[in-house]
Amino acid sequence: MPEPQETFYDVIRRQGITRRSFMKFCSLTAASMGLGPTFAARIAHAMETKPRIPVLWMHGLECTCCSESFIRSAHPLVKDVILSMISLDYDDTLMAAAGHQAEACLEETRRKYKGHYLLAVEGNPPLNEDGMYCITAGKPFVNTLREVAADAQAVIAWGTCASWGCVQAARPNPTQAVPIDKVIFDKPIVKVPGCPPIAEVMTAVITYLVTFGELPALDRQRRPKMFYSQRIHDKCYRRAHFDAGQFVESWDDEAAREGFCLYKMGCKGPTTYNACSTVRWNNGVSYPIQSGHPCLGCAEDDFWDKGSFYDRLTTIQPLGIEGTANEIGGYAAAGVGGAVVAHAAISAIKRARKSDDDDRKQD
Amino acid sequence: MTSQAETTAEGLGSAHTIPRRSVYVYEAPLRLWHWVNAACIVVLAVTGYLIASPPPSVMGQASDHFIMGDIRFVHFAAAYIFGIGFLGRIYWAIVGNEHARQIFYVPFWSRSYWGGVAHEIGWYLFLKKKPRVYVGHNPLAHLAMFFLYTVMAVFMIMTGGAMYAEGTGLGSWQDRVFGWFGALFGNPQNLHTWHHMGMWVIVIFVIIHVYVAIREDIMSRQSMVSTMISGERMFKDGGQ
Amino acid sequence: MATISTPNGFKLDNSGRRVVVDPVTRIEGHLRVEVNVDPKNVIQNAVSSGTMWRGIEVILKGRDPRDAWAFTERICGVCTGTHALTSVRAVENALKIKIPENANSIRNIMQLTLQVHDHLVHFYHLHALDWVDVISALKADPKATSALAQSISPWPMSSPGYFRDLQMRLTRFVESGQLGLFKNGYWGHPAYKLPPEANLMAVAHYLEALDFQREIVKIHAIYGGKNPHPNWLVGGVPCAINVDGTGAVGAVNMERLDYVTHVINRTVDFIDQVYVPDLLAIASFYKDWLYGGGLSSQSVMAYGDIPDRANDMSPANLMLPSGVIINGDLGRVHEVDLSDPQQIREFVDHSWYKYPNGMESLHPYEGITDPDFRLGPATKGSKTDIEQLDESAKYSFIKAPRWRGHAVEVGPLARWIIGYAQNKPEFKEPVEATLKKLDLPVPALFSTLGRTAARALECQWAVYKLRYFQNKLMANIRSGDIATANTEKWEPSSWPKDVKGVGFSEAPRGALAHWVHIQDGKIGNYQAVVPTTWNGSPRDPKGNIGAFEAALLNTPMADPAQPLEILRTLHSFDPCLACSTHVMSEDGQEMTAVTVR
Repeated sequence: MPEPQETFYDVIRRQGITRRSFMKFCSLTAASMGLGPTFAARIAHAMETKPRIPVLWMHGLECTCCSESFIRSAHPLVKDVILSMISLDYDDTLMAAAGHQAEACLEETRRKYKGHYLLAVEGNPPLNEDGMYCITAGKPFVNTLREVAADAQAVIAWGTCASWGCVQAARPNPTQAVPIDKVIFDKPIVKVPGCPPIAEVMTAVITYLVTFGELPALDRQRRPKMFYSQRIHDKCYRRAHFDAGQFVESWDDEAAREGFCLYKMGCKGPTTYNACSTVRWNNGVSYPIQSGHPCLGCAEDDFWDKGSFYDRLTTIQPLGIEGTANEIGGYAAAGVGGAVVAHAAISAIKRARKSDDDDRKQD
Repeated sequence: MTSQAETTAEGLGSAHTIPRRSVYVYEAPLRLWHWVNAACIVVLAVTGYLIASPPPSVMGQASDHFIMGDIRFVHFAAAYIFGIGFLGRIYWAIVGNEHARQIFYVPFWSRSYWGGVAHEIGWYLFLKKKPRVYVGHNPLAHLAMFFLYTVMAVFMIMTGGAMYAEGTGLGSWQDRVFGWFGALFGNPQNLHTWHHMGMWVIVIFVIIHVYVAIREDIMSRQSMVSTMISGERMFKDGGQ
Repeated sequence: MATISTPNGFKLDNSGRRVVVDPVTRIEGHLRVEVNVDPKNVIQNAVSSGTMWRGIEVILKGRDPRDAWAFTERICGVCTGTHALTSVRAVENALKIKIPENANSIRNIMQLTLQVHDHLVHFYHLHALDWVDVISALKADPKATSALAQSISPWPMSSPGYFRDLQMRLTRFVESGQLGLFKNGYWGHPAYKLPPEANLMAVAHYLEALDFQREIVKIHAIYGGKNPHPNWLVGGVPCAINVDGTGAVGAVNMERLDYVTHVINRTVDFIDQVYVPDLLAIASFYKDWLYGGGLSSQSVMAYGDIPDRANDMSPANLMLPSGVIINGDLGRVHEVDLSDPQQIREFVDHSWYKYPNGMESLHPYEGITDPDFRLGPATKGSKTDIEQLDESAKYSFIKAPRWRGHAVEVGPLARWIIGYAQNKPEFKEPVEATLKKLDLPVPALFSTLGRTAARALECQWAVYKLRYFQNKLMANIRSGDIATANTEKWEPSSWPKDVKGVGFSEAPRGALAHWVHIQDGKIGNYQAVVPTTWNGSPRDPKGNIGAFEAALLNTPMADPAQPLEILRTLHSFDPCLACSTHVMSEDGQEMTAVTVR
């Protein structure tokens, strides 16, 4: 088999795509990333000169929602991603080979493209029971993950599992599942959280990597700024109702039928960084709030352990007491207020006695 | 033990050298700051509470109302005044008199200070018959001021600033100043919760502060409430 | 061990060469399979092992029951939504909550959308490569391919030029040397029977289906906000309806309803003109490959689903059939009672869990799971590098559920066999028509091919039911009823102190049920028994083998090093491992202190 030295541009030209459509693709890509038209030329240049990149997509403890989301991508189509942009050399959900043949794919890419392939991780490794709560090819997933990461150029953490831990890491985390940055330390990691992440966000992260040959700009939590720098609330189409003080108070009430703000129903849009309200889901058809349900905050760390999804205020458990800030703070303030009243009463009695004594002394 | 000896031992003020009935303690900028700050806290607590638990929904067109917008505006405006006031207060701690510095430090290594704290606790538990005389804050009040006011104010400015930076966005000056602090909390829900809990700590502080100020006005040997208005601390028994 | 006979009538012999397939790919989650083949390379023993465990139900303990759907939905992102639906049904069953008629229609639309989408993606993207040789497609004649395509379907994308372009793209892709997903596939394997033209047509449809599946789930996005993992609500559905009133743009309005109708229409076309004709065309070349029947000719089970009217889960009101057939007696369909402690019981003798002393099996309401990862004495390799499992001991993270002691198969084939046995025309007629078209007798149904065909028939059935419920929703709205949620029992203060409930559904892969125990407004215990737990179950104490293992037996392999036949049969079940390896312990705290040997 020939060494794949050809570039992304070579590949798509060879596959019968015209230069015109190629340029169109580049400008659409630039637009979808919120970049100006001058970037279209840069993307085109990058694609004409950079070789295709092998991608190994590994699965730990997960539910495969990230893969399912990925194949929903409308632009680019996932067909074009896997045939023309990257070489998806290993993905146990979609690959033809199984067993030894699948393992061989992993090994070959590791050897042949040492330091030049991308590792995409869906799900996370459990550490309890020597890692044997997730076994691939008879071995703990965590070991294989470490080995494959060691030779990777960079690592993509797909979804909330790989980024933060997600549902299997919710209290009490019986398998001790950990995000991948707790076991991979020496590689650049880009986190693409969400349960799952939005399809076009996933493919755009890949297109960015392929076209610019580097990780996109990341925020403090290593998420791509282009999609995770604003809260859902900041760009929510129901924001006007929030500012106006117009809220859904109960399911299917008049306010719900007019599409008012879901803040009081527990919406986590104000504390969730994701592109749901801008990119939206399934090729822009809707997003949770548009379809009447509050945001669960699924792109944020530990979102499972913040109390009911339908509560406005987070449930916290200081010293084993369970309640919201208002409940706990309110009781504490009431307690202190009560103590103050009692103290005042005792002070008054003491003072009265003292003045009696003084009166008596004067007598 | 005479109060004369006490004040000498505590080394507070100069009442023992020239006995007199009052001392000028709180300078005008500090007094102004105190009352503006107090007003800010009331406004911030009320609007903050309403942001977390909004008033009942109103029907009609969104463009006809701006209830949450107004509540949030008032909260942010008060927060700016609170924050800038705090900076001004720090400035005054540097240029003002020695009492202006008191709430910014705790004389942690001073034995006599902790002795004073123990004495005040005894006084509040009705174990000591007579409080001591202080020109500034008594040691217990000093401790409470530092932890329940100064530390909490910094905490609220940092958490509040970090939340405000969420709205102003990555790269804004608010983000550069406060964003790193917000990131320490992970999920922004934690940041909101801590800020909210901070509000309750300050509410508890206010309850105690107001009660003790009034009580001490009546029961201690020096003036309290009027001091923060006139700046003069009156000694009821002439400091003797 | 020499040959042994299992109580459910299979002969096992592990004396031959052992073949290990791990990972089994093109499934959800992590599965390992080991088989022994005799000198003629016929499978004589099969061992299937679920190799992941997440503990979702442990995590559910103490949570708000209204939140449970979101947790259980994350059991699986492939059959996304079906666990959520089952969960809200369990909670509503416990709290006796009635949902509005519109909510029932919308939920059915969501569930049917999943059935259609999941079956389509399974067939083309997880299963087709077991029947279709991608490399052979390079040798096809585009003209002949076009003729073949036009002879089986009116689907418009069938011109010689279309197939030529596609073949060219494929050729260049292969020539690049980077085969990506198709690398190391079993191309040229003798078990592939399709002519190059059929392969080329199937590859074209593999790519078309990859494009099209995105469209179907837009229905989830409209009613549930997103897909995967749309949103659900205890007491109804979260989307309010406001067809033409003030602020209608903020709710399900005429445009949204039109959108759904449009997607349904397009999906009907795709299933009728692409999926079903492809299935029949491919099946016609595999008529002599009727292995993999396993349990299907003996014991099958379905709980039923798709209630026509709201709040009635009795078999008469369910559009998908329910019942159990045992020992191949199609003349008698037993009723399933999920609350009856005598019927469904779970065993862990061969699973990596342990029960307290003296407990052999448990009903899901009392379910206990305490992980116990121990390998048998005959295991080859070490704890963290297993070369060969010992099936005489514990060997899987999947439990072994049994219905009155019987191992049963669940899934589309089970549903269609039950519908057929109950003489329901909706099920019997398509089955008979399909068999007639392929010129096969009824027993041919009990095979890998039968399982794959039943899935296609069900997909077609489901897409028309989608249309039925969309029309029903529109009619109900037109009659003036726009209610979508019942909030009478939304507040936990309105709930009884201690209640139990069970919810069930037919997931794409088979019968699914959740059992919930609500105490003081919180989840006291939660248990899910899912389709792949039934199908992928290890042995029980009596030695009964599960559906995966049974189906693999007696299948001849052309080359044991190239396990195409194993993949083909396993994939016909559409395994979902993240689903099956669920557990619940009585005391969640214990789970964190797992003893590491």
